[in-house]
Amino acid sequence: MQGIILFTVLASTYLMVIAKRMPALIRGFRFQSFCLFALTLIMAFSEHRLDLYIIAVLLFVLKVSLIPHFLYRTIRRIRANENLGLFINPQLSLIWAMAFTYLSWIFAARLAVFGQAILIGVMAIAFFIILAGMFLMMSRMSALAQIIGLLVMENGLFMLASTVSGGMPFFVEIAIFFDVFMSVLIMGIFVFRINKLFTHIDVNKLSRLKG
Amino acid sequence: MLDLLPKHIFLSDPLSLFFLFVIFIVSLPSAIYSFGYLKGEYPLKKIILSWFLLAIFILSMAAVVTAGNVLVFLVAWEMMSLASYFLVVFDTTHERSIKAGTIYVVMTQIGAAFLIAAFMIMYSYARSFDLFALKNACLAMPAQTKNIIFVSLLIGFGTKAGIVPLHIWLPYAHPQAPSHISSIMSGVMIKTAIYGIIRFVMFILGVSAAWWGVLVLILAVISCLVGVIYALMEHDIKKLLAYHSVENIGIILLGVGLAMFFTSQGLPYLAVFSLMAGLYHLVNHAIFKGLLFLCAGSVYKATGTRDIEKLGGLIKTMPYTAAYFLLGAMAISALPPLNGFVSEWLTLQAFFLGALNVIGGTKLFLGFCAVMLALTSGLAAACFVKAFGITFLAGPRSHYAKEAKEVSLSMKAGMFFLSLLTIVFGLAATMIIRYLTRAAGSAMDIDISHMQFSLNNITLNPQAGKSIYLSPPLLALVLLVLGITGLVIFCAWRRKRSVRHNTWDCGYYRLDARNEYTATAFSKPFRIAFSFFLLPYRKTQKIRESFYHVRSFTYETHTIQVFKKYLYDPVLVLVFRSAKSMRRLQPGSIHLYLMYIFITIILLIVFMRWF
Repeated sequence: MQGIILFTVLASTYLMVIAKRMPALIRGFRFQSFCLFALTLIMAFSEHRLDLYIIAVLLFVLKVSLIPHFLYRTIRRIRANENLGLFINPQLSLIWAMAFTYLSWIFAARLAVFGQAILIGVMAIAFFIILAGMFLMMSRMSALAQIIGLLVMENGLFMLASTVSGGMPFFVEIAIFFDVFMSVLIMGIFVFRINKLFTHIDVNKLSRLKG
Repeated sequence: MLDLLPKHIFLSDPLSLFFLFVIFIVSLPSAIYSFGYLKGEYPLKKIILSWFLLAIFILSMAAVVTAGNVLVFLVAWEMMSLASYFLVVFDTTHERSIKAGTIYVVMTQIGAAFLIAAFMIMYSYARSFDLFALKNACLAMPAQTKNIIFVSLLIGFGTKAGIVPLHIWLPYAHPQAPSHISSIMSGVMIKTAIYGIIRFVMFILGVSAAWWGVLVLILAVISCLVGVIYALMEHDIKKLLAYHSVENIGIILLGVGLAMFFTSQGLPYLAVFSLMAGLYHLVNHAIFKGLLFLCAGSVYKATGTRDIEKLGGLIKTMPYTAAYFLLGAMAISALPPLNGFVSEWLTLQAFFLGALNVIGGTKLFLGFCAVMLALTSGLAAACFVKAFGITFLAGPRSHYAKEAKEVSLSMKAGMFFLSLLTIVFGLAATMIIRYLTRAAGSAMDIDISHMQFSLNNITLNPQAGKSIYLSPPLLALVLLVLGITGLVIFCAWRRKRSVRHNTWDCGYYRLDARNEYTATAFSKPFRIAFSFFLLPYRKTQKIRESFYHVRSFTYETHTIQVFKKYLYDPVLVLVFRSAKSMRRLQPGSIHLYLMYIFITIILLIVFMRWF
């Protein structure tokens, strides 16, 4: 069961990497978060831990419903061009993403030499998600992609922490959730303001702002 | 093992106490002076701010000279630099202040970097930041390491002290601060660097090679000459004083360098003697340079300009300030019986004694240094004839000088206190050197109890049995008697019928300020004599109506700042050029910045095996 979910997480990340338009990207993120939610729920169920239940619920409420909803609302309100603006086209992105997967697998294998196979797999996928988030931020022009890239990285970190070390301390986890939520709110407002000021949210065109 | 709770946070040996005393005697009158100086010059909020900064500045200097732990020392050192930086840029309205502050902060941070490097090397041997632990560790240090530490310390402290060629910030920063701050900076702050050299090179590191002392002596001689020659060319009164600080730091370092040299030669008596001479000049310079800066501040406050070409005749409107300035000028020119004379005389004696006691080429070298010191004091006297004569004598050269009024009581009080000290430190020399030898002995860990500095009450005799005597009170008496005799003779024989003319009128009339002697003209012989170093050039421009009638004639003369042009400018150009090419890495695109991070991560992952 866990294996299947892990595979789905991987697939959802690939989906996001090849996404060309904003709604597709948000959908991919929602899907990925849902998979994480399922993963956490299963872990909570098998280990009978109350805190994991609460974290799972929070994951669902924040990352599966509230944040994607808020992002949808933002792109609807700014009525911007729905295209993400790709520096690297989907095909090439996919190839890069596969390379990253391989790289993170080597990395994980080298880190956890005596671990079980499943542990190495989880670590590899988590590393890959972090790299993919970074890749999204780097190779997409729209400011929205930067927000989602950050969220994806956070997902990867969450996964790494919860599977490898059995989760961060409960309160830290809660704090991170609220942090992420607040940062998305703030960045959403920023995107809105940028759009109002420059009538676009193309970060590439902001380079004239340097000192 | 890191020594988190050091045993000696603060020291109180004679050397530290001596420097505390120096800080105190300059800071107190400067603070009193600032009551009157700041009033009306700045709004109330800025005055409060200046007091706050002044308090931090003085406290951090006190912490520097008493720190018993290198970390405490460094923190205090940086606090001192920052506080003085903010005081330099205190006149934020002037573009010049910002520039001066930038030069100052850059130079001082470069110096601090060298200091930190030296301390880190010491720490790697001692495994402790405690001064005494460092001292013990330095006993077992290889000579090569010691040399490296010495050079770093010399550069680090030399930047603060203003040794040529690291003096570049001094003539910018010192004049730009408010005058009571200039007096503290020039009188005391640069002395903390001398403290650092004595404490860290002589006390902790221990002089191990003769060339250390020789290097310091050479730098000191260069500083003396360069400082005084530039001062001769300068017409900004505070800048002139700042250049004299370079010169006097050179004289102090002559004493310190001699002490280092004698230590390495195994002549402890002479070492103590020359360090004592250096320390004596240090406290003297603190007194008279503090006094002169306060006087310059009074002139600035009264007239609103620092350019002496625009001043003149102030002795009539500001008699007190003129008298104090004259005392300070006499002291810095080493005229007996004031304090500057005693210490320069002692330094010269140290050179002669050294020349008697060493053999070979060193004899010649020490003699040469003594000659250079004599030349320096001669030039300094010339410079202060110019500074005093042009500023205070003759008639006013501009409306600035015409409208000058004597300054307020608190300012006069500050100046009075210091000018009193110039006399006291000259007359009470015998008593003072007794204390100074103790400080010098403790600074070098030399037991001085068996040494005789042969001090009876009235005669000061550094070289027992060789019949060299100096008695400042006796000299003062002789001068006083001679002066009174001269005055009596003058009064008795002068022409009874007096004729009144304007000053420097030579019996003509209708001579105005434009006919007066100028500072540029006064310094011309020196400009010619030192033209190989100053590289003067002039611009003349005549506008003629016809061949016979010149409507206007302008004449400008400038000197080339050798060190700035041939040492600092190329470095600056290089720095800016490389900074410009570095800027290409930073085009302002967020994606590119993200890519830098991303590539770094990927590389780290790929090459993890090698880390």
